Amino acid sequence: MKTDRTITILFFLLLVMMPLDFFLIFRVAPTEKVMGDVQRIFYLHVSLALGAFLAFTGVFVSSIIFLWKKKIVLDSVAGTCAGIGVLFSTLVLITGSMWARPIWNVWWTWDPRLLTVLILWFIYIGYFLLRGGIADKFKKAQYSAVIGIIGYVDIPVVRYATKWWNSIHPLLSQEGGGLDPVMKKVMLFSLATFAVLTIFLFLFRFRLARIEERLEILKKKMED
Amino acid sequence: MNIIKLKGIRKHYHARTALKGIDMDIGAGACITVFGPNGAGKTTLLKIISGIMAPTEGKAFYNSRAYSESDIKKETFYLGHKTSLYNALTVMENMDFVCRLFSFKQREKSVESTLRKHGLWERRNDPVNDLSQGMKKRLALAKGFITDPKVVILDEPFTGLDIRWRSSILSKIKEIKRQGKSVIVSTHLVEEGCELADHVAFLRKGKLLFINRREEVDAKEIYRLFASTGEARL
Amino acid sequence: MSFIGDALTILRKDLLLELRGRESLSLMLFLSLLLLVIFNFALNPDKDNVSSMASGILWVIFAFSGILGMGRMSVAERDEDAYLSVIFSPVSAESFYLGKALGNLLFLMIMECFTLFFFAILFDFEKIIGLLPQLLPALFLGTLGFSLVGTLFSFLSTASRYGEILLPFLYLPVVVPVILGGVTSMDMILNGKSGEAGKWIQLLAVFDMLYLAISLLVFRYLIEE
Repeated sequence: MKTDRTITILFFLLLVMMPLDFFLIFRVAPTEKVMGDVQRIFYLHVSLALGAFLAFTGVFVSSIIFLWKKKIVLDSVAGTCAGIGVLFSTLVLITGSMWARPIWNVWWTWDPRLLTVLILWFIYIGYFLLRGGIADKFKKAQYSAVIGIIGYVDIPVVRYATKWWNSIHPLLSQEGGGLDPVMKKVMLFSLATFAVLTIFLFLFRFRLARIEERLEILKKKMED
Repeated sequence: MNIIKLKGIRKHYHARTALKGIDMDIGAGACITVFGPNGAGKTTLLKIISGIMAPTEGKAFYNSRAYSESDIKKETFYLGHKTSLYNALTVMENMDFVCRLFSFKQREKSVESTLRKHGLWERRNDPVNDLSQGMKKRLALAKGFITDPKVVILDEPFTGLDIRWRSSILSKIKEIKRQGKSVIVSTHLVEEGCELADHVAFLRKGKLLFINRREEVDAKEIYRLFASTGEARL
Repeated sequence: MSFIGDALTILRKDLLLELRGRESLSLMLFLSLLLLVIFNFALNPDKDNVSSMASGILWVIFAFSGILGMGRMSVAERDEDAYLSVIFSPVSAESFYLGKALGNLLFLMIMECFTLFFFAILFDFEKIIGLLPQLLPALFLGTLGFSLVGTLFSFLSTASRYGEILLPFLYLPVVVPVILGGVTSMDMILNGKSGEAGKWIQLLAVFDMLYLAISLLVFRYLIEE
């Protein structure tokens, strides 16, 4: 099968990229002057955020196509993407918190970016609650597609609202200056690594979902 | 001329399959009774025929057009296990609302005549909540008279009714049939079902065992089929 | 014309339903009153800080009472599958949605005026009544946002086996921008900075237009089983 081969290739690619990425982050990238070693968490934090963003975009796109084409497989795609998105955004929140503690001296800060991720996280938890509550596959697909679309459209609005809201409150966050060129390269590599990881996880989970589905169909055939 | 055509309809729920490949032609003005034990897929089949439920596989056609492009929902009257009535509203308000949905001009007149015809006029100002089960069923069915649909789908219309109400509802359904509408009824009451039908179908475990003209089917055969599934209804 | 006419038919039915059943608006009003009392106990406001707390308290009450009311309205449709009589009629799904949203908007607005009035009494903050004309644009646009999203999600959540319990989990995260916009603009107006509230009102308007468009596009998928 074609996907199986792609999964294998991606797996070996990650086997090289992941350790290399961590090596670059912890050994090659220069230590940031003000923040020190803690700043290194940023490479992971931003990369995870990219992964989450890719995954939620996947939910959005496959939800739209589902409502249009009504192919149930697109719901599996959306569900798989949402799972990865929730996992990654959880990690984004945790790494963000780990970074904020030593730097800003708080575990949590109402930074607009962080807040947007948190709201997204809530929306997609709701998405999974709904999925658990509907037995009919088609209905489940239909309803979650609606949430998948609405949740995603909410992102820019939340982003603006939180940004404006934050500008009224005393701010902890400050944009860092320009990145050191080596740092920039490490960051780009890290982003690439996590993009590959996202695709790999997606294909892997999706393949599993397909196999489960086929198993179910076989079981039903045996019942007949 | 077939008004509704089903081709290879399958429906999967999460853990089970409700329908396993149904083909069916429903002629205009025909009355079909679908028999079958509980859990055979009768409700699912009727919902799919009505257009509110999409099949997992297969296609349905109304007047030779795919359901999504047809007027099936506008021209169908569907009565499921529930009454589709607003319990807090009165009998009159429920009927009036339906007339408004269909933008009828002379609402008061048609509501009054329909309610009188169905023996509901005296109860017109009572909330639906205060009506007996049989009265609710009668009111629910009366909506099917006022909207003048082309297709009438009744899922277990006799359930929960005593013998008196059963025959009253039966005669109403016969009247609908006489008006030349296509009627699809599901039930496990063999006698009533056979009395109505000009076609009889038997559904078991998501498959149609047969669909035949009424004259060609022996009622005893249906009893036997029910008995073989351990669910005889006399 | 018939699109709006059909929506008004649905609205008329919802008003009648409330008149007969008293299941939605009256519960909302009661919950609002209850929450006002609870907030007073919990925050113990005095003359000096009440104006800084007011908008936060009020919008939290609006949001929660709204969830309760809109959830009830959808339950009334799902009980006995009453909405099926609309589905099997010439009335379009979009008109149905619009009618329901208008009904919810109306009930929410009534609840909000009621809450504002009792806030003025219970928190000794009469100033808020005088400022009502200034508060109205944000109040209206925010409430419209609540009802547009709430109508859609309450209909959606009552279809699951969790019923209306699911509504806050779906609804609250999505309306965060409305709550932020509503709270902030009201806060500005109450504290004499009404000039800055403009951009928040714009945000609310954008939110409303966005969700009106999407809801009209997707609602018909929610009435198929």
